Amino acid sequence: MVPTDPHFPGAATSGGTSHEICRPALLRRALIRALSLRWVVLAVLVVGAFIYVPIIDNFRVSMTNRDIFTGEISQVGLENYQRLLDDPVVWRALLNNTLYAGLSIVFQVFGAFLLAAMIEGLKSRRIRNLCRAIYFVPSAISTTVTGLLFYFLYQPEVGLLDAGLTSIGLGALSRPWLALEDTAIFGIIAMSQWQGFGYSTLLFSIAIQKIPRELYDAAIMDGAGPVRRLFAITLPMSREMTGLMVIVTITGAFQVFNEIMVMTAGGPNNSSQVLGTWLYQQAFIQNEFGYGAAIAAVIFAVTMLTGALQVWYTSKRRVKL
Amino acid sequence: MKKISKITTTALTITSALSFAAPEVLAAGSNPVTADPAAEVDYSGTLSILTKFGSQQLSPFFEDVAKQYTEMHPEVSVELIQETDDSVKGKTKTLVATNSMPDIFFSWTGTWGGNFIRGNRAVDLTPVVGAGTEWGKTFTPAALDAFSYGGRNFGVPLYLDAKFMGYNKSLFADLGLEPPTTFDALLETCDTISAAGVVPVSFGNKEAWPAVHYAGQLLVYNVPVETLEQDFDPQTSAFDHPGYVTALDQFRAFIEHCTTGAPNGTSYEAAVQAFSDEKAAMYYQEIIEFDGSANSDTALQPEEFGYFVLPAPEDAQGDPNAIEGAPEGYMVSAASDQIPLAIDFLKFLTTQETGKVLSASPYGQPSAVVGGSEPRTMNASVVAGMADIDEASYLMPWLDTVHHPRVAATWLSGLQALVGGSMSSEELVAEVRETSAAVRD
Amino acid sequence: MTVSPISTQTDGDRFWNALGKTFILSFLVCLAIVVIYPLLWMALSGFKTNAQIFNEPFAFPRSWGFDNYVAAWNQGVRSFLFSSLVVTSASAVCTVLISAWTAYGLSRSRMPGKPLITAMILGGMMLSPTVALIPLVRMMQSLGLYNTHWALILLYTAFRIPFTTFLIRAYMLDLPADLDEAARMDGASEGQIFWRIILPLCAPIIVSSVILHVLFAWNEYLFAMIFTSAQDVQTLPVGLTSLMAKHGTNYAQVFAAMTISAMPIVLLFFAMQKYFIRGLTEGIGK
Repeated sequence: MVPTDPHFPGAATSGGTSHEICRPALLRRALIRALSLRWVVLAVLVVGAFIYVPIIDNFRVSMTNRDIFTGEISQVGLENYQRLLDDPVVWRALLNNTLYAGLSIVFQVFGAFLLAAMIEGLKSRRIRNLCRAIYFVPSAISTTVTGLLFYFLYQPEVGLLDAGLTSIGLGALSRPWLALEDTAIFGIIAMSQWQGFGYSTLLFSIAIQKIPRELYDAAIMDGAGPVRRLFAITLPMSREMTGLMVIVTITGAFQVFNEIMVMTAGGPNNSSQVLGTWLYQQAFIQNEFGYGAAIAAVIFAVTMLTGALQVWYTSKRRVKL
Repeated sequence: MKKISKITTTALTITSALSFAAPEVLAAGSNPVTADPAAEVDYSGTLSILTKFGSQQLSPFFEDVAKQYTEMHPEVSVELIQETDDSVKGKTKTLVATNSMPDIFFSWTGTWGGNFIRGNRAVDLTPVVGAGTEWGKTFTPAALDAFSYGGRNFGVPLYLDAKFMGYNKSLFADLGLEPPTTFDALLETCDTISAAGVVPVSFGNKEAWPAVHYAGQLLVYNVPVETLEQDFDPQTSAFDHPGYVTALDQFRAFIEHCTTGAPNGTSYEAAVQAFSDEKAAMYYQEIIEFDGSANSDTALQPEEFGYFVLPAPEDAQGDPNAIEGAPEGYMVSAASDQIPLAIDFLKFLTTQETGKVLSASPYGQPSAVVGGSEPRTMNASVVAGMADIDEASYLMPWLDTVHHPRVAATWLSGLQALVGGSMSSEELVAEVRETSAAVRD
Repeated sequence: MTVSPISTQTDGDRFWNALGKTFILSFLVCLAIVVIYPLLWMALSGFKTNAQIFNEPFAFPRSWGFDNYVAAWNQGVRSFLFSSLVVTSASAVCTVLISAWTAYGLSRSRMPGKPLITAMILGGMMLSPTVALIPLVRMMQSLGLYNTHWALILLYTAFRIPFTTFLIRAYMLDLPADLDEAARMDGASEGQIFWRIILPLCAPIIVSSVILHVLFAWNEYLFAMIFTSAQDVQTLPVGLTSLMAKHGTNYAQVFAAMTISAMPIVLLFFAMQKYFIRGLTEGIGK
């Protein structure tokens, strides 16, 4: 019997038994294989043309300077990268991105994990669903809307936040959050946590639901309290999700743009600038496209690193499972 | 296997063609496009216009003019891109960078307008609007001249602009105050107003340019004009005149005495609103904002509105009779394929009748056309302000449009830091000096 | 004697459990208020006058007239909404179709160079749109697509194909292989197998993909801001910021506009929650 290829019945039938028809069969087989490229050709073209080509092109652009008004282009080699190192705003932006990542990990990974554990500990299924749904709502809304909303909330004149602080006796804390160099970035990060925690809570909830009930039953038999169970079972059992969320959060934190543009546009005095907004500022406000492309290269390096980390992490997990 | 490589090669060729084939040197040719006064106007097609009148109050002006024009010439349609003071810069640069400049576009004078000339993106209008031409004679000469570069006219001025301190007359009267005539008197006036529990000057600096406007006026008071002009150009800049630090120190004193809250977190719109709502006694504004800040819809009524020139400090070393301001106008894109039509539209835009509409309420933009204003229909303060502009010994250009973009960026962020208290006057001047030196060839 | 300590311990446990539960519940309720209140305040402020927003921010609106909503709608929200609808729906259709198509090829056919192609397409997920931005501007310009809906449709499609393909491919890999085999025995062509058998079976993940794409495209800001300039091409997230600049002092109208823009997606979420969650889990969990 000739082994039939389940995917290529045509090849199997024409393969027959004799060696003479083997060559055309092979050819035909190769043709069918090649024909199946038609499934992916559109995606390869679109993804290639609009993602890969521009990203590669970015490196070429980063080694030029272009005067948009005259259209003149000069080759400057690595000058723009040299400028990156000397630009204090780039370092400030990197710091802000890192702060963004760090605080998001605290609130949107660990905070959300604890929250998900609390929610999943509830008896009523309806309340669990309701909680998850309500917390998720801000994640579904455009960051322009939430950014503008918080811009108003932070404003001393409308002052919902400041009025709220005063009413609970924390009036001393009230300040024009987005106007001060020291607090602007934190005001934005806080908005981001408000918007994003529901999303990660939802994912952690799903991960926790997958933990076998028997583990908890056994722990209760052993007399483990809720806190003990959290650390002995829930945390280790959702470790994979936690790791993945950490990586995803870091990647996201290095791509923030919308909320900064809407709330402070990087000010005051560039104190809330992140890499994305500084790129925009340089390329599209200052016309320094080459320098903007060099900043883009930094974003590329960071996201590639976290991306590689994610691939490594998921593949490692696959092996383990 | 050959097939795959062939397909990949084809794919790669297509994809790379998409990107690398992008034209490197763009619309700008090597020769400037010059307007031909004899060209026949073809009244058909779409005319695109980038304006700076995007605000709710001003946007109807161009809509109405466009409507009148298209009623006269039904084959023509006008496409308006209306931006605000704040957004027009970014929008213009994006349009330039993408070679999609509209037929007619807004421009400031100075380095900003110079960019379009340098890049051959604006039509040389000298033959049609030059000083000796019929159309050119209809403009205030100084306004027309502000758009000339190397003796050639590249822009058509639409209105004159300058910065004044608007104040609430009733509030001043209640407190027995008169408009101050010296800078120190201004600070004292602020103290009196503060003591009465009112915000002396509403100041929103989220956008960073409002502080730049204060700085510009104080600089021209404290630094001689020749020195300033020398410092505008990175090739000759020194920024070593002591008047720079003096001016910035005065600005700091002003912030301390006259403003409240955190200006860097307040948008300039919110600041106007506070003045219009009579929550603040003064607001430093452009003459083109007069009608917006006090009109029949605002708590501050037009008859309560007064203005004075930001008072000069005594013994200042600069020019105490200079006012910060410049005409603003429009240019024609060199890439436009209907230059005669664009010029025809601009002529229509700068008739005396259109000028009178522009000067009068609710727009209140003092027309740059001689006889383009009718004092009877205008806000009295706008009329008086126009006279002040006429009498000024020097019009100080806006710092953020006159300087090299990187120097301008340093002024913008540095003044935010100065307002926020995280940078001293000396540090800011040093930073500006360094940036200017860094962009020197 | 040995019984009593145990029973007191259980009493203690019960007490602590009850206390803990109460604490957790009140914490969750407080958090829900923190999440919902600002959004509610936004929607309610759309009914207020400017003066009321400033002077009594916590109060209920005095009247429930839709004036601000109508004004916002006429001030440009209508055209932004239309642009958002066009861009979102067209890019959703393109993305999901191409992705399903690609996922089929990657999961159920035997093509040459499959690992390479898979890596290339799925690898697109790691690439940040910001990095491609500057060259894309020139590319769109030279293609004549700058400031058109097409620019956004193309870019949203390109940048979402990797993720959407990833979602659908994972789902297809789990479908049993004998399905296609049986169909082939019956003489079905590859195209028929895709359209008649595999695609219908993938309906749940297709719905999830569409919803996740809508969520993305409706809210996308970076590309929309860079690639559109005229008001009639701008989508909601960008339109809102220009509305804010032009009518910034009329807070009530801005709030109304924000509410109008957030509403469709929130409603969609509540209506299709199940599919949302499936998409999210598949997206991150696999």
